[in-house]
Amino acid sequence: MEIVESKNTTAPLKELIKSYAGPGKADDAAIAQRLEKLRFPTRRDEYWKYTRTRGIEKANWQFSQAQEIDEIAIPESIGDGPRLVFVNGLLSKEFSITEGMPEIESVERNYSDERSIPFNPLADLNQVLPQNTFRIHLKKNEVWEQVISIVHIFNGNNAISQPYAEVILEQGASLKINEYQLHRGAKTFSNSYTKYDVGNNAELGLDIIQEGTNESFLHTQTLVNQEKDSRFTQNTFTLSGKWVRNNTIVNINGQNSEANLNGMYIPSGTEHVDNHTIVDHKVAHCESNELYRGVMMDKSTGVFNGKVFVRQDAQKTNAFQSNGNVLLSDFATINSKPELEIYADDVKCSHGSTTGQMDEEALFYLMSRGITEKNARILLVNAFAEDVLAEMVNENLREYIESAIKEKLSGASNGA
Amino acid sequence: MLSIKNLHAEIDGKKIIKGLDLEIKAGEVHAIMGPNGSGKSTLASVLAGNEDFDVTEGAITFLGKDILEMGPDERSHLGLFLAFQYPVEIPGVSNINFLKAAINEKREATGEEPITAKEFLQMVKDKAKLVELDNKLTNRSVNEGFSGGEKKRNEIFQMAMLEPKLGVLDETDSGLDIDALKIVANGVNTLRSNDRSFIVVTHYQRLLDYIVPDFVHVLFDGKIVKSGDKTLALELEEKGYDWIKNEREKISA
Repeated sequence: MEIVESKNTTAPLKELIKSYAGPGKADDAAIAQRLEKLRFPTRRDEYWKYTRTRGIEKANWQFSQAQEIDEIAIPESIGDGPRLVFVNGLLSKEFSITEGMPEIESVERNYSDERSIPFNPLADLNQVLPQNTFRIHLKKNEVWEQVISIVHIFNGNNAISQPYAEVILEQGASLKINEYQLHRGAKTFSNSYTKYDVGNNAELGLDIIQEGTNESFLHTQTLVNQEKDSRFTQNTFTLSGKWVRNNTIVNINGQNSEANLNGMYIPSGTEHVDNHTIVDHKVAHCESNELYRGVMMDKSTGVFNGKVFVRQDAQKTNAFQSNGNVLLSDFATINSKPELEIYADDVKCSHGSTTGQMDEEALFYLMSRGITEKNARILLVNAFAEDVLAEMVNENLREYIESAIKEKLSGASNGA
Repeated sequence: MLSIKNLHAEIDGKKIIKGLDLEIKAGEVHAIMGPNGSGKSTLASVLAGNEDFDVTEGAITFLGKDILEMGPDERSHLGLFLAFQYPVEIPGVSNINFLKAAINEKREATGEEPITAKEFLQMVKDKAKLVELDNKLTNRSVNEGFSGGEKKRNEIFQMAMLEPKLGVLDETDSGLDIDALKIVANGVNTLRSNDRSFIVVTHYQRLLDYIVPDFVHVLFDGKIVKSGDKTLALELEEKGYDWIKNEREKISA
């Protein structure tokens, strides 16, 4: 007998519909009904064991129509290339540069994915009230040479943003994306859902930079479907934010495909970062690589949960998964759980998790050469992050990330 | 240049250095020899500012400054250099970038302009030649995948780049084959000058055939028990460390 402890949708979340202006507004009753049915996790839900959603359930979120941003809100590293800029989940025509951008299609509401991912009320919430949905669609053999940028700026007050996007690459198409998820200013919650369909022999490269504030909540649901001979790479750099939870699910449906999921996180203060990944090898002759590196400061908490399924048909699979963490403080916590579930008998899989402290010997060595303690720490942390940085699709983001790491470590002694 | 007075140091409550005195003038090369566990490497670590060791008594002044309260980085800026007995491998930190950072931090501390890229590259080229260090190695991660000999040569290369006033060589010769030893010694000899001093810590006399010291000190049980010129090293080689041990026992008996 299964006992379901139910926790109904909180009143504030039900109110969300009042400020919602996305597609399907006319369907209010159906939306309200679905909102009503959202169930939030309790401690018994393994998938959410170390990441509590209470702060999200209880807050009085509203969709914001605010479209103003500071000029400096858009990082210089983006350059003048094609970009879509979203402010609080809504497309900003003013700040976007569409020249050189693939054609953008709009998407009908679609609930069909909700059963294909593990228990996730936040993903459901996005599906109930998706904002400004759009689709990037590259046709057969369309190779997009120029890197495109997708910039999300969240700066409302008690503002919830629920971007929904699809990226579809047909056979032989190729695309590189820089994505920025930037929380600025007051209390914000971004809850995004993105689907990537990577067709036969298609290739998608994605670098994501996540920045939050001490009042920001950031949740992402990413769903990837890979067909034959395809390549997908996602690198997620979580530089700051009170509460971050990323869920990435990759379904490898076609042979001879490669999936790479990498991440680097550096929480400080009481920040919380959680990366959950699932890579599902359904067919033979595919490869997946996962490398997540965490630098844990102060009283921060981190979670890594990576699950790799190798189904019975997925012979000759190569699946590698590694999570490494360095704790820079006695009060930081990391919960790391790499998991392998293998049903095939001719595969090469490995997973591992390491957690350690700053190498004091290396620190002394660098200092004995005249490098100050602060800079020696920065050098060592960069070196630790380097394995992930080396995987970057777009090298032009490196400086941005390195300077963010430097800034973060420089503030460490102030008890930030 | 360097003055050590009545130095006492311990690690985890274990006393290692027990009242050591040493005076070094500019341009001098002092060899410190002694059996295993006599405190040679501890002395080198304490000089460089390794915080694993607690100095419980005594004073160290370097160029007229009390350095005991200084961090390893400040001591380096003053002109102190330690060539490690076991150089640390630091994956992901490039040899070259870290050296450039080190030079510029020193320059900043002493109020000098940062080194130009051109100047720096020329310097790397010249100094690498000094210890026959392959160009490829200078560009790799610090000591990562280096052979034992390459690590030691890299230490001397770094010393040449940082141009210290006092170089402390901690058993740089241990484990080196004769060819590597000659290269290392040659590097050190090239760096000898009237205003640069060296402390050469070694277990074996052989190194002193190649780096000829002005003074030789024998360290035993945390103290310098005998000092002399280079002939002392030869005598020690001939009679062995037991000679010192027996002599000490006679005195205390």
